[in-house]
Amino acid sequence: MVKTHRILMFMVFLLLGMLITLQFRGVINTSEGNISVKEMASRLEAEEAEGRKLLEELNNLEAEWSQLLDNIGSRQQDPEIMELIRQRDYEYFRAGLTNVRGDGIIITMQDAQTAGDMNIEDYIIHDADITGILNELRSNGAEAISINGERILGTSKLVCAGPTIFLNKSRYPPPYVIKAIGDPDTLYNAIDQLSNVAIMRIYGIRVDIRKEYDMVIEKYRLYESIDEWLSSLEVVSE
Amino acid sequence: MKLFKTMALTLVCLLLGVAIAWQYNSVNENLVLAQYEKKNLSQLVEELLVERKNNESLRARIEELQQEVSALKNDENMDMKYVEDLKKSVLMARVMAGLETVKGTGLVITVESGGQIKVKASHIQELLNELKASDVQAISVNDERIVATSEVREAGDYIMVNGRQLVPPYTIKAIGDPDKMEKSLRLMGGVLAKYQVYEFNVGLEKNENVVIPGVRDDGTVIRTDKLTPVIP
Repeated sequence: MVKTHRILMFMVFLLLGMLITLQFRGVINTSEGNISVKEMASRLEAEEAEGRKLLEELNNLEAEWSQLLDNIGSRQQDPEIMELIRQRDYEYFRAGLTNVRGDGIIITMQDAQTAGDMNIEDYIIHDADITGILNELRSNGAEAISINGERILGTSKLVCAGPTIFLNKSRYPPPYVIKAIGDPDTLYNAIDQLSNVAIMRIYGIRVDIRKEYDMVIEKYRLYESIDEWLSSLEVVSE
Repeated sequence: MKLFKTMALTLVCLLLGVAIAWQYNSVNENLVLAQYEKKNLSQLVEELLVERKNNESLRARIEELQQEVSALKNDENMDMKYVEDLKKSVLMARVMAGLETVKGTGLVITVESGGQIKVKASHIQELLNELKASDVQAISVNDERIVATSEVREAGDYIMVNGRQLVPPYTIKAIGDPDKMEKSLRLMGGVLAKYQVYEFNVGLEKNENVVIPGVRDDGTVIRTDKLTPVIP
């Protein structure tokens, strides 16, 4: 009886010792893993918040700057300067550096709610799905396009980054809202009849298209200074 | 003595129970965390770095503008600087729109069918998307500049860019970091790997003087007839 008791006690303590060791290691690991992921996430959040603040500050400064320039220009009444201001406004407008207004369509895309029994990849939206739509919009006369408020230029970056997409210089989660200004009927029919849209719909990806009148598409957000922009390219005058 | 033994055993068993519960909990939590970590840590770090870089350039831009604003307020060398600034911003906007011919370091890629499969618009489109993803600054296909409104589509045996029919071989020029661009094109399962499967003849050349012409300026490529500028 005493012997069984001892063996039992021995086993209990052995188990206890093992558990304590395991637990210690577990706690140490957890706290390490915990800090890195959580902290990285909160740092990212803080950095993104900072970015939004900076962007707002930049917008205000730009408004002040162009107001000051306009004031000086109109004060001077110099025809050369007036012409330059007109030219600048026109080229900014053509380059996508001005908010624009017009009729067109809005496409809203959302990943499938539930994945079926096929490859999970088929139920989410990919960069190629979006670039295909952009190409179709352009082929059908779209004059200005934005995705989630990010103006799309000729060199705009658009890549999948996990469950999100990377657009120009920022990351966006779904839903993806594509705005395009052009002829609403032409654009609507082109996208609605696109075979890739039909395929996405079969998988349960939601692609809603609607015509929209008198909507605004935001300007391209310029992070670099003018000099920075020009420094990487040499302009060849003809 | 017996009481002591019973009490000790009770205590040990109690401790054991608590330990098991604790352990179970923490193992569970670890599993959840590990999954989260695997999926997101490297991505988070990458995103953080991108965000930091964005914010740095934003700060630099803000500082620059602040100086310009205060210079404007103080009327320092105003006339000269003002006209100069205006001319510079006109030029920058024209470069951004793709209206100016530009020169820089980059890649020249030629693509041509080498067998049964013809080079289609979608093949070129895929290449362009890959180049755009590597921070390209200017691109052209057979000297047709790719601008915000440029389409790449099939037109019978040809492909059409900016409303013009192009014939093979297709020459894609890109100004940007040539190593970065080449690396992303050569990724496993990437564009060049696919081209190889299609038996395309591909040329890839790094060049320090890639010249990319501006887009024609007749209102047919950069179209604005349906747009109204919104003045703040």
